[in-house]
Amino acid sequence: MTMYNQTTDERVDKALANSFLRQATRRATDRLRNNKYKASAELGNWEEWRAAGEAIRKNVISNLDYYLNQLIEQMEKRGVHVHLAKTPADAVTVVRNIVSEHNAKNVLKSKSMISEEIHLNHALEEDGIDVVETDLGEYIIQIAGEPPSHIIVPAMHKTRQQVADLFEPIAGHALSSDTPTLTRFVRTQMREKFLRGDIGITGCNFAVASTGSIVMVTNEGNGRMVSTLPRVQITLMGMERIVPSFRELDILLNLLARSATGQRFSSYTTILTPPKNTADPDGPEEYHLVILDHNRSEILGDKLFRSSLNCIRCGACFNVCPVYRQLGGHAYGSVYSGPIGSVITPLLEKDWKKWGHLPYFSSLCGACSEACPVRIPLHDLLVKLRMRKTQSGHTPQVERQIFKAYRYFFTREKTLRRALRLGAHLQRPFVRNQRITGGPPPLSNWTNSRTLPMVAPKPFMQLWADLKNKR
Amino acid sequence: MSNTSDFISNLAAKLGRPTPTQPPPQVKLSVPQYQLSSSAERVSVFLQNWQALGGKGAIVRSEDETLQCLKQWFGEQPITWFKENSKALLAWDKLPTIAESAFSSLNWPLTRYSQSAFDPRDRYSIAASAELGITGSDWGISLSGTVVVKSDPLRGRAISLLPPRHLSFIESTKIQDNLFNVLEEVAALGSPPAAIEMISGPSRTSDIEMDLSIGVHGPIEVYVIVIDH
Repeated sequence: MTMYNQTTDERVDKALANSFLRQATRRATDRLRNNKYKASAELGNWEEWRAAGEAIRKNVISNLDYYLNQLIEQMEKRGVHVHLAKTPADAVTVVRNIVSEHNAKNVLKSKSMISEEIHLNHALEEDGIDVVETDLGEYIIQIAGEPPSHIIVPAMHKTRQQVADLFEPIAGHALSSDTPTLTRFVRTQMREKFLRGDIGITGCNFAVASTGSIVMVTNEGNGRMVSTLPRVQITLMGMERIVPSFRELDILLNLLARSATGQRFSSYTTILTPPKNTADPDGPEEYHLVILDHNRSEILGDKLFRSSLNCIRCGACFNVCPVYRQLGGHAYGSVYSGPIGSVITPLLEKDWKKWGHLPYFSSLCGACSEACPVRIPLHDLLVKLRMRKTQSGHTPQVERQIFKAYRYFFTREKTLRRALRLGAHLQRPFVRNQRITGGPPPLSNWTNSRTLPMVAPKPFMQLWADLKNKR
Repeated sequence: MSNTSDFISNLAAKLGRPTPTQPPPQVKLSVPQYQLSSSAERVSVFLQNWQALGGKGAIVRSEDETLQCLKQWFGEQPITWFKENSKALLAWDKLPTIAESAFSSLNWPLTRYSQSAFDPRDRYSIAASAELGITGSDWGISLSGTVVVKSDPLRGRAISLLPPRHLSFIESTKIQDNLFNVLEEVAALGSPPAAIEMISGPSRTSDIEMDLSIGVHGPIEVYVIVIDH
């Protein structure tokens, strides 16, 4: 987890200096974005689908207690073990205990952002468990020891040669770096693991409250393997991942697949209503559902940010964000990157010192809000988060002084006039082509990488006065 | 760990009201759904979309046509497979009649997954070594070229997952326009089966440099035969 130890500036510099990363990020996000445009245009009335998606998510979130209770009742009625985890540490403990009760050695995982959020692999590896990510992209970054750089394409930042280099020590021989060779290697390698997995851990795209069903989408089929073969299954879900019934599921599955990859549906959409029927020849006999809060209830109680819980984790906002497209995911430093990551990370982690930079990873252009299939006003939430950060007193000393000075001058007309006249003189040594460049700190913090407009020789107030006199 | 009532009442407190005792009103849904005018069109669009995803598909009207189709797709391959593995063709306990008789006329013996071994892990190994998994489908979706399969004690989920090839039989009348219609029927079941698998094409990934690659985990080749009586 190397990037967690670096500062924001270090991560950003590293990303900007990595031309493959930047090229790969642009290529991948272009592709995903264009596929989404096609898939959404095909539905004919995308805006109506978005409006319906938003209405469904709003209804769920504003009745989350009712639906969650219904889901738990349905699950427990059938013998599913439901665990409610307040914190990431609670969720890790639940999983550790289940693994140790079964004396399990081989744990298979299909993609789960919650498991990234609670840093589960690390904990299980400490216990000596062989825990394997089975999604190809997740497997690559697990070997590399890195967090995902995109919510849908987690190893987007790796070249095929880097992937081959990561696989070679496992294969024990040289591997060609063409995609078919690499995927064939993973198919063979993973097959053995699938067949001897003791416990399967999956994520959850949606949980249907009325029937107590879990919906999972994958393209590779690893989600099906992990939820079909091991005798024991654990599903990790964020507590907001609910849909009231099958009636609403249609809309959300259409929005999710089309927004994420531009597919009509992912290759595999699985609706589990666990555990298996005792007479079924396969499927898990024992099923655990771990429902994580991790400050989601705080977000629920905060009307300004409640809508961030509407997210369906499609990644569409990543693919249109000018900041993400320049930097990729690792520069953010957080498990969830992109615009939605910048919104939810400070709220989930409640640590402005560590995550206060995230609301500023945005040009506020609003492309994210436009791309969001459930119409979360992401750029608006980012502005409000900046406000929240300022209110909490976590802005740097320099920034506070600058705004104090701003308030001082702009509430005193005469002083402002004098200051502008003085500024017009003082700026002279730094003006090139009518822009301010260079200068001492704190000015240089800005001018090192950009220019500032110069103070006009004749300030606006003077121009205005002249205009009045002429009349 | 929290108990359910504490967890739920905390959420109610955050929402600033007691937990509703009646189901919240349903959201009105009025999205324009994809609709086709006839069964023939439904079948044809379904097959087009299935093939666009990389699957092979055909319509059959008799046992003879089924047999011809299987021969055309698999040729002499099953004979070679059987030399190595007598359990190369793995199937549900009961396939549609037309499929059962076609395999029997071809003399391609089917191994029934649910009875193939006592221990589940042995069944998985059999499925992983099989060459072709054969199932039926409970529904199809035209718009996306999807087959939908329910789990059942006489079936088995690994058949459509572990072998490198999956062949599914579907009655033309089971093909619906869109997912909404299928989910309406699922909801009408009351209590859904342990698993409902929606399968749209072969296993795929673009995780390495966004380069599409088929068959990383699930079946590499997928086939569907639409039975039109």
